[in-house]
Amino acid sequence: MIVTVQKPLNELLDFISPYGKILLAGCDGCTQPPRGLREANTLAQLLELGGKLRDKNFKFKTTTIAKQCDSHLTATMLKPQLEGIDAIMSLACGIGVQEIAQAFPEVPVFPAQNTVFFGAEERDKGAIEERCAGCGNCLLPLTGGICPIARCSKGLTSGACGGSKQGKCELSPEKDCAWVLIYNQLKKQGKLELLKQSRAPRDYQLTGWRVTT
Amino acid sequence: MSDSVMTEVAAVKIKEDNCSGCSTCIYVCPFEAIKKDKTTGKTVLEIEKCQVCGLCYSTCPAKAIDSLYYDVDSLTSYLEKAKQKYASDTLVVMCKGSAPDFTGVEKLFGLKSFVPLSVPCVGRVPEEIFLKAMLMGIQKMNVLACDTDYCRFEHGSAVTRRKIAGLNMLLEQLGYGKDAITFKRNSLKVTVDANSCIRCGNCVWFCPYQAAKLDSPGAVTFDLTLCRGCGLCVAMCPALALDLENWERQRISTIVSKMASEVKTPSVLVFRCQWAVFPSLDGMEPSANVRFIDMPCASRVDTSHVLEALQKGADGVLIAACSEEDCKQEKSSGKAKHSVDKLNEKLAQIGLKDKVQFCTVAPRFPDKFTRELEQFCAKIGGVKESR
Repeated sequence: MIVTVQKPLNELLDFISPYGKILLAGCDGCTQPPRGLREANTLAQLLELGGKLRDKNFKFKTTTIAKQCDSHLTATMLKPQLEGIDAIMSLACGIGVQEIAQAFPEVPVFPAQNTVFFGAEERDKGAIEERCAGCGNCLLPLTGGICPIARCSKGLTSGACGGSKQGKCELSPEKDCAWVLIYNQLKKQGKLELLKQSRAPRDYQLTGWRVTT
Repeated sequence: MSDSVMTEVAAVKIKEDNCSGCSTCIYVCPFEAIKKDKTTGKTVLEIEKCQVCGLCYSTCPAKAIDSLYYDVDSLTSYLEKAKQKYASDTLVVMCKGSAPDFTGVEKLFGLKSFVPLSVPCVGRVPEEIFLKAMLMGIQKMNVLACDTDYCRFEHGSAVTRRKIAGLNMLLEQLGYGKDAITFKRNSLKVTVDANSCIRCGNCVWFCPYQAAKLDSPGAVTFDLTLCRGCGLCVAMCPALALDLENWERQRISTIVSKMASEVKTPSVLVFRCQWAVFPSLDGMEPSANVRFIDMPCASRVDTSHVLEALQKGADGVLIAACSEEDCKQEKSSGKAKHSVDKLNEKLAQIGLKDKVQFCTVAPRFPDKFTRELEQFCAKIGGVKESR
């Protein structure tokens, strides 16, 4: 899923301070936790309370869209709701914000979230961790299903660096060394010989900017 | 054990002088909190294990157990007043855990009006209360307990069933007919609005009982035989697609609005888990500055309701929960605390620090809740004045 973190509420209050009536648009899509109707309603409550302390009397309308990254869906869902709306705040990832901006160029749109990475929730740790970097050349068949681009701090493609200590990364004692995870995984699969395969360095051109549909 | 615990007033006590040593309480206690001391031979209560279900109190043949809550005297005087107030000759004794609202109860038993007696576990009501009610002129008696696997006190509901069966046999012998007391079971569970479900899987993730299932196309489904009605999924559903019977979002919202409008400033709204703080029988509030909203579990406390309370003018919100060890719902109170912590981080960002507080209390030491509430009220009152 795409992982987002809500921006500090002060920042959001600054965004909307010149406006009176704001539409908060949630997204039921892939953000985690889903920033749907509940999040939109909660944000409206928080911003209303915060606004009062700043002598602002914001009015909020809340809605949610199945996925804001679908430009057609977003345009058709939001259009009937824009009457009297001064600004839109999107709870989606950065993609959703841009789709709204493109569909309604005359209405200012603000992001409620910082979009951070593609990740998965680790139940025991109570945290969401990065899992995919969208590099354009999936290495997972060679690495036992563990991505070294996303999970190794240096994105190394051919083995651990000297900073790997007791299975942890030198950057943080909490962060697993991706290459130790890969080694252990391949060992369990009896495929350690894969480590000997030489591989080309990461091709940064592959990330690209467009794929045709 | 710390000194402060040693000096706390306990809600349940064994009166040594009255105890005949019959061991009935030992057998009936669902939490193994009562034991026979091997050296002295005396029956002793380990209060730390006690969940204050009251089964021992209602079962002890020697009246050797004292209970601070819902004892015979307070139940009797409540019934006398309630009979006047509700002007009915029908009594419904119900467990707070499974009783729907008034209309729901009327529907369940097919009644037009009734005198309600709502307590946390019907098992705590001694048989003599039913007999006293009959002497007061009650004609028809009904008991609503939880489904056996829904009972918050392990086998409180099963014990109740046996007690009522025994009492009914007795009443039949006396000539009151068969099944003088109608016994029913109920439980309050999750409901799904299939049109709103976004299949995000949050409820599957959070449900402590694996009741939520996303294994077929369409909306999430719940195995209601597994649902224990904690409401955690309802409070966590990002699409507002879930609700909990009798604890519907809209219903709580209405209560919050009403209470926030009538409470005097500096005002405190308390969301209390009904298993952590036992409400008084008549629902009396302690002061004009405090209002209580009962919850099926602290995990049903919805961020939106807390914020609504603040929006409607409450100066502070206190959430009274069980400790994780005492939680009747697989440590759901820990999840509730996490939600409150998260909310407080956000509230601090807009300049509303220290408005919302989470505390863990237990009915075994009633003074602790009183203290927590006093301290919180003092804090909120102080904040208000310093503004």
